[in-house]
Amino acid sequence: MTILHSREKLTLANELIYEIKVKDAMTRNVIYFSQDATFREIQLSLKKNKISGAPILDENKNIVGMVSIDNVITALDEGYVNDKVKYYMTKEVITIPQSYSLVSAIKKFEYYKFGRLPVTKNARTAEIAGILTMGDILNCLLISIQTIAEKVEKKEDQNTQLSEKMIRQGKKKNLQFEVKKADFDNAGQVASMIRNYLKKLNIDKQILRRVAIVCYEAEMNISIHSLGGHITVEVEESKIAITATDYGPGIPDIEEAMRPGYTTASEQIRALGFGAGMGLPNIKKCADHLELESSMETGTILKATIHSGG
Amino acid sequence: MKIKEIVSILDAEVLTGDSYLDREIEEFAVCDLLSDVLALSKDHFLLLTGLTTQQVVRTAEIAGGIGVVFVRGKTPEPGAIGMARSHNIPLLMTSMSTFEACRAIIEDINKKEKK
Repeated sequence: MTILHSREKLTLANELIYEIKVKDAMTRNVIYFSQDATFREIQLSLKKNKISGAPILDENKNIVGMVSIDNVITALDEGYVNDKVKYYMTKEVITIPQSYSLVSAIKKFEYYKFGRLPVTKNARTAEIAGILTMGDILNCLLISIQTIAEKVEKKEDQNTQLSEKMIRQGKKKNLQFEVKKADFDNAGQVASMIRNYLKKLNIDKQILRRVAIVCYEAEMNISIHSLGGHITVEVEESKIAITATDYGPGIPDIEEAMRPGYTTASEQIRALGFGAGMGLPNIKKCADHLELESSMETGTILKATIHSGG
Repeated sequence: MKIKEIVSILDAEVLTGDSYLDREIEEFAVCDLLSDVLALSKDHFLLLTGLTTQQVVRTAEIAGGIGVVFVRGKTPEPGAIGMARSHNIPLLMTSMSTFEACRAIIEDINKKEKK
């Protein structure tokens, strides 16, 4: 999912047209004609298949020409509709190899104003592999975008199920989750699972919210600033303890780091809406008790406790 | 105020979550900084934002938001839509700017109070 990481000016569709290949978007079931087909036959077939053009192939499935509805109309007009197509078809066919990216195809469509582009097996042969229209491209883009959304949805659903499974297994004590370095797409996943877990335990909504925020901020901190780490949550009778541990490199000046607005986050992080220097102050605000230890050798340990009243 | 009232006030398009528009909004959050969303003291809020990343939805979910409005006709990332679907958070998109959207909502609230 590298696409979602870059925050350059390229929009998603722009990135996709470079990523998706012609072979992924083309229609493989090609309707074609032989050189000996008459314009009348072609006219009937185009009508039946509801298409506006088709390639002409030789006996080895090599592309030798193109015929369009326009050619058929001209044939009707000029009275050679019963003649064979080979005498009149467009012989200089513009094709595209199937391994090219969609951007090349789009350029060709724009330049030549064709409705369809025959696709070849590779750049050295005229053997047909499929046919491509702008409609195919659009379809493929829509599906790709949809797939990205579905992937995220599925993953989130799985996480919810996972936290439900933990409840069923009666895993009440130490819930430990790994947090990876610079994994911003997944950042928040741990907090989300913990939130769902506590919700199922019928913990007060405001408490739940504070725990989730502490976890989320801690998770973002590990993800942004450290080499990775883990978060442990212990649910006890009267309190919930959250421990976030990372593998370094450690906070040089804790006092400075606790100051609201102090940040060392990169532009990329800020573009995501984070890195405003509010993480630690926010954790402090949500927690009833906060301990922060950091060593430049071993990393940082953050312990936050929230009283749950019970 | 319900989310569906916002849909008409902002002339907004519902990108996902049609079935959750009856939720009651208890607070409005207008933030382009996710840390600010997390610093809110209430939940059941509707978030108006210019950010379009997946993390916006994640943040709303964690902080107990009940919906997100994207301003200036900005479309969220596909991942944001997927995440919203999983967590049942409706996503709205309006062509209004943040300022226009806020003004429209406040005008509506004032109008109702006078009645």
